[in-house]
Amino acid sequence: MTRRAPARRRTLATSLALCVSLALGACSSDSEDGKDGKDGKDTAAGSGPRLRVTGAYMPQPTMADMAAGFMVVRNDGGEKDKLTSVTSELSDTVEIHETVDQQMQQVKSLAVPANGELQLSRGGNHLMFHDLIRKPEKGDKITLTLHFAKSDPVKLSVPVKAANHQPAR
Amino acid sequence: MRKSGRIRLAATALLAGSLVLTACGGGEDDTSGDKPAQVKNEDQKKGSVQLDRPFEKPDLTLTDDNGEEYDLIEETKGEPVLLYFGYTNCPDVCPLTMSNIAVAKSKLSKKEQEQLKVVFVTSDPKRDTPERLDKWLRMHDPSFVGLTGEFATIQAGARSVGVHIEKSYEKKNGDIVSTHGAQLLAFSPKDDKAHTMYTEQNATAKVLERELPAVIKGEKP
Repeated sequence: MTRRAPARRRTLATSLALCVSLALGACSSDSEDGKDGKDGKDTAAGSGPRLRVTGAYMPQPTMADMAAGFMVVRNDGGEKDKLTSVTSELSDTVEIHETVDQQMQQVKSLAVPANGELQLSRGGNHLMFHDLIRKPEKGDKITLTLHFAKSDPVKLSVPVKAANHQPAR
Repeated sequence: MRKSGRIRLAATALLAGSLVLTACGGGEDDTSGDKPAQVKNEDQKKGSVQLDRPFEKPDLTLTDDNGEEYDLIEETKGEPVLLYFGYTNCPDVCPLTMSNIAVAKSKLSKKEQEQLKVVFVTSDPKRDTPERLDKWLRMHDPSFVGLTGEFATIQAGARSVGVHIEKSYEKKNGDIVSTHGAQLLAFSPKDDKAHTMYTEQNATAKVLERELPAVIKGEKP
């Protein structure tokens, strides 16, 4: 297992409360708007990572044994962070994968550079969900929580799209 | 450029991008400024690559998803064929490619749909039994043919059409790592050769929908 930051795994209530009280935009509860991060600019003034997640989706999986998840984690802060684990109601085992030379491999974490972004996209980095509790269909929403080395967990509601969905670049 | 001389420059650059580099993730870098102009055009066109030296159909006799022997050359003689090497324990690119083909195929005329043969050869035969291939491909399109067999045979067949795959291996943590092919090949019904190739980035449903009618007729898309 790659969940290296158990300390980060707080209960949902705690993490949401933290998000709200810190108002740093480290958490964005909806993957679609992606605007939350902007407000905290003055508060943090370049210190610490400031994360927001945009464009998250899950392609409708072929079968109930695995699924992929994609998104962009934007860091507007001056400090780097790392995506260290993912938890979800859909699966007890969610891995972080990278793809190199047409081979997908589990990695322990993926960097979210300062003033940069971590892209999870088709053919590249992705989340891999094993042994799904149910097979999600296009139009469903699934929830998942991203856990980071420094930032608070980010809870997302992720839409399930067509099996061949690919967001426009 | 291991492929130089076999295909024209644009195709070579694209191939190199997908075969050698991390085509999977870095495809968008293919159009960087220091590459020849035609690569850019090729990429913008978002379509197939025409092979100057077409590939012969691989001489593969494997087991199909019904558990029966399947001789690729014999079974698909004179038919338009899309050939892809991938594996079913693949959350991203393999289902994406098959889904793109299924979506594009569904937009063709009934006659064209009947003519087109889609063959998925597993790059992970140990896990991809005929039963599993049948179950997985059925979710995309029940007409798709899945083939499995000895890895060495499959790898040699893939290599003969410029597709690089490696044997699945188990990591210390128990994960199994497999490879999928970087390209989709289209064989003409006229001479049973692949004149047309799609890189991973260009094998979209839209591109296939536009080009498959020509492929099915054995024409240049």
